[in-house]
Amino acid sequence: MTSALLTPLDTLDRQARPAAGSRPDAEPLVHISNFRMDFGRSTVIRDLSFDINRGETFGFLGSNGSGKTTTIRALLGIYQATAGVLHINGRPFAPEDGARLGYLPEERGLYKKESVIDVMVYFGRLKGLRKAAAVAWSHEYLERVALGDKAKVRLDKLSGGQQQKVQLGVTIMNDPELLILDEPTKGFDPVNRKLLMDIIEDQKRAGATVLMVTHQMEEVERLCDRVVLLKNGEVEAYGTVEAVQDQYGGTVVRLQYSGEIPASVHYVVTRRESTYAELTVTAPVDEALILRELMDAGVTVRGFTAGRPSLDDIFVAVYGDQNAAGADETAGE
Amino acid sequence: MARHNLGTVISFEVTRTFKKKQFWLTTLLVPVILGIVIALIVISNTTTSSKVDSQKDATLRFTYSDASGRIDPTLATAFGGTVVADEAQAIADVKSGRSAAHFAYPAKPTKQATMVYGADLGIFDNGKYSSVATQLMVASAQAEIGDQTLTGLARGSFQVDAITYKDGAVSGGFLGAVAPLLFLLIFYVVIVMLGNQMLTSTLEEKESRVTEMILTTLNPTTLITGKIVSLFIIGLVQMVVFILPVLVGYLFFRTSLSLPDFDISQLIVNPGQMVVGALLLIGGFTLFMGTLVAAGAIMPTAKEASQVFGIMMALVFVPLYAASLVVSDPHALIVQLFTFFPYSAPVTAMLRNGLGSLGPVESGIVIAELFILGGIVLRLAVQLFRYGSVEYSKKVSLRTVFARSRG
Ligand SMILES: Nc1ncnc2c1ncn2[C@@H]1O[C@H](COP(=O)(O)OP(=O)(O)OP(=O)(O)O)[C@@H](O)[C@H]1O
Ligand SMILES: [Mg+2]
Repeated sequence: MTSALLTPLDTLDRQARPAAGSRPDAEPLVHISNFRMDFGRSTVIRDLSFDINRGETFGFLGSNGSGKTTTIRALLGIYQATAGVLHINGRPFAPEDGARLGYLPEERGLYKKESVIDVMVYFGRLKGLRKAAAVAWSHEYLERVALGDKAKVRLDKLSGGQQQKVQLGVTIMNDPELLILDEPTKGFDPVNRKLLMDIIEDQKRAGATVLMVTHQMEEVERLCDRVVLLKNGEVEAYGTVEAVQDQYGGTVVRLQYSGEIPASVHYVVTRRESTYAELTVTAPVDEALILRELMDAGVTVRGFTAGRPSLDDIFVAVYGDQNAAGADETAGE
Repeated sequence: MARHNLGTVISFEVTRTFKKKQFWLTTLLVPVILGIVIALIVISNTTTSSKVDSQKDATLRFTYSDASGRIDPTLATAFGGTVVADEAQAIADVKSGRSAAHFAYPAKPTKQATMVYGADLGIFDNGKYSSVATQLMVASAQAEIGDQTLTGLARGSFQVDAITYKDGAVSGGFLGAVAPLLFLLIFYVVIVMLGNQMLTSTLEEKESRVTEMILTTLNPTTLITGKIVSLFIIGLVQMVVFILPVLVGYLFFRTSLSLPDFDISQLIVNPGQMVVGALLLIGGFTLFMGTLVAAGAIMPTAKEASQVFGIMMALVFVPLYAASLVVSDPHALIVQLFTFFPYSAPVTAMLRNGLGSLGPVESGIVIAELFILGGIVLRLAVQLFRYGSVEYSKKVSLRTVFARSRG
C-alpha cells in the first residue's frame, strides 16, 4: 500500500523532479537572503537568510510568534516582503510558473460544503492532473489514510483530524518537488501522526525537498537534515542537526538527585522533576565544576552524565527566557 | 495553463451550485409560483367565460322608464325590457324583489345620469345592469342615425397608427423602447439575484480558510474571473428558468390570460441601441461584481459585507425615483448626475438608451467610463483578495494592501 502511493503518477512529467543529489553543483531550491518583514510599525523579521538544498528535509524552528508562518507566506507570495530576496528555483514564486509545490498551511481549510472527492479532484485539476488520474489517486489515498468510505461525504461532516488528512492528500497529490508543511502534525492522534510521518518520509524518498515547521523536536531529530532556529527576527542557529547541537556547547547534564538545585550562572535548569533534572550548560566551564557546585549547595547526586543536548533542550535554552521576559506577546496562542 | 485553470474554476463553481438542492428550491420557487398564478387565472377565466355564455341565453328581464324619448321600443323589447310609467312603483318592485331591474332614462341623457336599479348579484356581476342600459341607449341612437359607420366614427372607435422619423429612419416610440430596455431588466435580475452570491462566494474562500491553498495553486485573477463568469452563467440559467413559464403562458394561454397580443414583428430593433445596451450591461456588471468582490475581500464576515451590498442596491434603485424626470427631461442636472456617476450610470444610461435620449457621445463616455472603472475595480479587487483574504479575522486597511503591493 505504502509503495503504491509512491508510484509516481504517469500523468506527470517525472523528469522534472531531480533525484536528490543528482545536481551537486545546483543552486539551492529555496534561497532566502536579507528578508525583512514589517507589519505597520512592528518588525517581525529583521534580517533572515538561509538556503534549502534540493532533496533535503529542512526544519524551520522558532517559538510561537517568531515569524515562521510569515516567512513561508512571504516565500509563497501571499505576503509581500518588506525587503530581501525570497526565491524558489531561482525566482519569486508564482503559481502559474508550474513549479510543483505542495503547501500545507497552518490555517487549514478546504471548501467545507463540497464532498471530499470533489474538492480533491478540483485541486488535482488545478495542479495539472487529468480528471481520471485525480479521481484514481484520490481514492487510493483515501484508502491509505482510512477514509475510503468518506469520499462522497461533505467535508464539514468529517472530524478535524480527518479533514486534515484530506488536506494533506491535496498537498501531495501533484507529486511535489517542494513540500512546505506548517505544523503538519497539529491535531493528529499518535497513530495518525505516525501515518503522516510515513507519508512525509515517502515523499522524501521520492526526492521531494521538504520545508517543515514543527514544535515537535523528536520529529525534527527523526526527519530533518538541517534546521534553522529563528529568534527575535534573526537566525539563532543554522546548520545540520548535529552542528546545531554542537553549537550549543554540546553539553547537557542529566542528573539523578535529591535536594534543591541552586541557581547558577553556569547553567539553566531545562527540566526539573522530583528526582531527575536536566541542566543546559551555558558557560564555557568543565562539567566537574558544575558537579562541585551542586554538591557544595547540598544536593545529593546519585547519577550524573554529561552529553549532547537534545533539540528540545536547545529549544528551551534558546527561548526559555522569552516568556519570562514577556518579550513574546503571541506565545501560547 | 491559465486558460485551462479558468475552465476548471468555472466548471467547479457552476457544478457545485447546480448540485445544491437549495439552489433549485429557490430558483424553481419563482416559476412554480408563476405557474400556479397562471393556472389559477386560466381556471377562473374558463369558468367565468362559461358563466357569461350561459348568461347570454338567460336575458335580463327589466322594466324601464324613458323621459328622453330616445329609446326604440322594438329594440327595448328585444333586449328584454318592458316600459312602465310609474317609476316609483318600479323601483319599489326591484326593492321587494318582484322585478329584476329598472332603468330610468332621464330627459337629457347627455347631461343627467341614467339610473339603474337592480337586485344585488355580487360586485362582479352588478356591472351587467349598467352595461345593458348603455347598450340599449347606444343601439337606439344607432337605429335613429341609421348608419353604422357614422355611429362608429361619432363614438371615436377607429384606429390611428403613428410612424415617427428620427434622422431619416423610423424611430421607435414605445415599441422601440422594449428591446433595449430588456438589458435593464437583465441587469436588475442579475445584480439583485446574484450580487449577494458574489459576495458570499468571495467570503467563503476566506471564511473556510482555503485562500492560502488557492493562492499558491492558481493566479487570483483566474480565480476571480472564473467566479464572475460562473455567476453570469448561473444567472442566465436562472433567468431561463424564470422566463420559461411566462413564455409557455404567453404562447399557449394568451387568450385565457387576456394578455395583449404582441406582434413581435412590430418591435423595432435598432442595432445601435442594442449594442449600446449590451455594452452598458457588461460594463455595469463588471463594475458591480468587481466592487462586491473587493468588499468580500475587505470585510471579515458576511454580516459586515452585507452592509456594502445594501448600499450598492440603493444605488441601483435610486435612479428609478428620478425615472419620470429621466423620461421627461433627460438634460436635467440630476439626470446628468445619475447618468455619469458610475454606480447609478448603468441603470440611468440603459433607461435613457431605451427611451432614445442617450446621444452617441454620452453613450461613448458612459461605456468607456464603465469599462475602464470596471477594469480598475476588478484589478483592485484581485489585489485586495490576494493580500486581504489571508487576514482572516480583521478588516483589511486599504493602505496596507497598497503598501504591500507596491513593495
Ligand atoms: N497579517 C498580519 N498583520 C499583522 N501582524 C501579523 C500578521 N501576520 C503575522 N503577524 C505577526 O507576526 C508575528 C509572527 O507571526 P507568525 O504567524 O509568523 O508566527 P509563527 O512563528 O508562525 O508562530 P506559531 O509558531 O505560533 O505558528 C506575530 O507577532 C504576529 O502577530
Ligand atoms: Mg505559524
